[in-house]
Amino acid sequence: MLTASRVHFCIRQRPIVDEVSLELNPGEILAVLGPNGAGKSTFFKILSGEIRCKHGAIGYNGHDIHTLKSRELAEVRAVMPQHTQVNFPFTVQEVVELGLISTKAKNPTRLIAEVLEATNTSHLKDQVFNTLSGGEKQRVQLARVLVQIWEAKPFPRYLLLDEPTSSLDIAQQHAVLKILEALKSRNIGILVILHELNLAAQYADKIALLKDGLLAKSGTVKEVLDEEILAQVFDHPIQLIANPATGGVFVSSAAQSYSSTHTIKQA
Amino acid sequence: MSSALAHTKTKSQNQILLGFGLMLGMVLLVSLSMGAYRIPLPQVLAILSDQVGMHVGAFEVQQANVLLQIRMPRVLMGVLVGGGLGIAGAALQGMFRNPLVEPGLIGVSSGSALFAVIFMVFVPISPILAWVRPIGLPIFAFAGGLIAVLAVYRLSKSQGKTDAATLILAGVAINALAGALIGLVLFFADDSALRSFTFWSLGDLAGATWTKIPVSLILITFPSLMLLFSYRNLNALALGEQEAFHMGVNVQRVKLQFLIFSALIVGAGVSMVGMIGFVGLVVPHLIRILFGADHRLVLPGSFLLGALLLNFADLIARVIVIPTEMPIGVITALIGAPFFIWLIFNLNKPKN
Repeated sequence: MLTASRVHFCIRQRPIVDEVSLELNPGEILAVLGPNGAGKSTFFKILSGEIRCKHGAIGYNGHDIHTLKSRELAEVRAVMPQHTQVNFPFTVQEVVELGLISTKAKNPTRLIAEVLEATNTSHLKDQVFNTLSGGEKQRVQLARVLVQIWEAKPFPRYLLLDEPTSSLDIAQQHAVLKILEALKSRNIGILVILHELNLAAQYADKIALLKDGLLAKSGTVKEVLDEEILAQVFDHPIQLIANPATGGVFVSSAAQSYSSTHTIKQA
Repeated sequence: MSSALAHTKTKSQNQILLGFGLMLGMVLLVSLSMGAYRIPLPQVLAILSDQVGMHVGAFEVQQANVLLQIRMPRVLMGVLVGGGLGIAGAALQGMFRNPLVEPGLIGVSSGSALFAVIFMVFVPISPILAWVRPIGLPIFAFAGGLIAVLAVYRLSKSQGKTDAATLILAGVAINALAGALIGLVLFFADDSALRSFTFWSLGDLAGATWTKIPVSLILITFPSLMLLFSYRNLNALALGEQEAFHMGVNVQRVKLQFLIFSALIVGAGVSMVGMIGFVGLVVPHLIRILFGADHRLVLPGSFLLGALLLNFADLIARVIVIPTEMPIGVITALIGAPFFIWLIFNLNKPKN
């Protein structure tokens, strides 16, 4: 289990992340949602070990994150940041191989072939990464991140993604979320920051809503997706419509005039 | 890697390196043969095989003396310094994730030069430091290079990222500062120190002697090998420091290692033959353009090509104005500067 307990992070006395506690179980997709500036990215960096929180603790499978070496940490969690630039002419295959540099994989070739297959990038493997389109780059980066935790292990692993769908069209967005869904059976827990509420509604098992560094609400999708809570968190009226196809809900942002000045002020 | 694909890749990389090795060997033989005093190739081979106890032909004692006492240390020094500059350039470019970085641009060379000058001017007159004289120069140069590169690195880093524009600016600033300080130190120098500085600052392999080889061999070979073995970390850093950390690389430690090893190599090189520009910039680029960015090939390839280019430049420097010699820095800059301009133009062009 990945646990964050009472995580707190300040910049110049101003709390960016304030007493946030969360749990992520293997086999689960946890979507983190919230308006811009809610502290999602900072919280994400604390979870991945990139920055240290001032108070509180992060635990991976019961081990405190600061007792783990970067190599050991890389075995239990993989991270996909929002943007990754590659400055030199690496091929797709080489980029994906990099995901394995600190894991002693038994059959690296098979792992690479499998993640390329899963992300639908096999046909790109000999191309130079920088010549790819935005969506292709994103999928290749996903493949690189996946290969790090793809091999079956006796302990659960975790995948953290910061807006993996940001530069993708709608078909690609669903393709990425479907890949994440398929990971659940591999004893992997997935935490994903999303902007699109409907993707969260459709694919997540649990949702955490952040606002002003505080955990506004967390729980199952049913518990969290509530018109009133969402409207409060996003400062915008939100309607939920039953989705007959999935049995879930559509999230609709009805643009009503009364809140528009308020929204601009917040932004 | 056990797959057929990865296997063929490793194999073709090894073939490329072998090719460079053979080309280097040929340039070295030609370099041993040519110069103000010509030694025909058969005699070169005869003298060399005589050294390992085989007699394959006749040669004159004078030929053997010139070859073994003058040309051989010079050629070896060219291999060490050229190779060192190549591999240090490749490592620094990879670490800073910036193809414009080279030891000269980011202050390593001028930092080394400053400390070398301080050593040349002040150590001979200080009896306390007399005991460090034999190995003092490379060590001083190393310290100067390290201080300069650490300063540039600190200055160019903001919010965990090294910004390319600030990096270049910081390098320019450190270079200017080091240049001014060199001038200041020279102000206090006596005539003999000034003369040795002048020769040294032109960049010259002619000063290479057998006594200098062992120190350079250790100071350049050891850090070069350490760099060669950490090609995986350099590959990971090419994606970014965050990403490398996510993939399990101890980024801070690895970066410090790269800085120290590069400063050691460049400092030793600068102290032995003076400032030689552009090798560290041009060589890694050529390798990347020709064979891709995998540091498993870029690092050793840069060493071999750097050694090759510097010896080639030295060969030209020696034969172009017989019986005198052109400073080698002139030749490398003549090759390097146009290439640098071409590079800037091509980097700014949109990629198709």
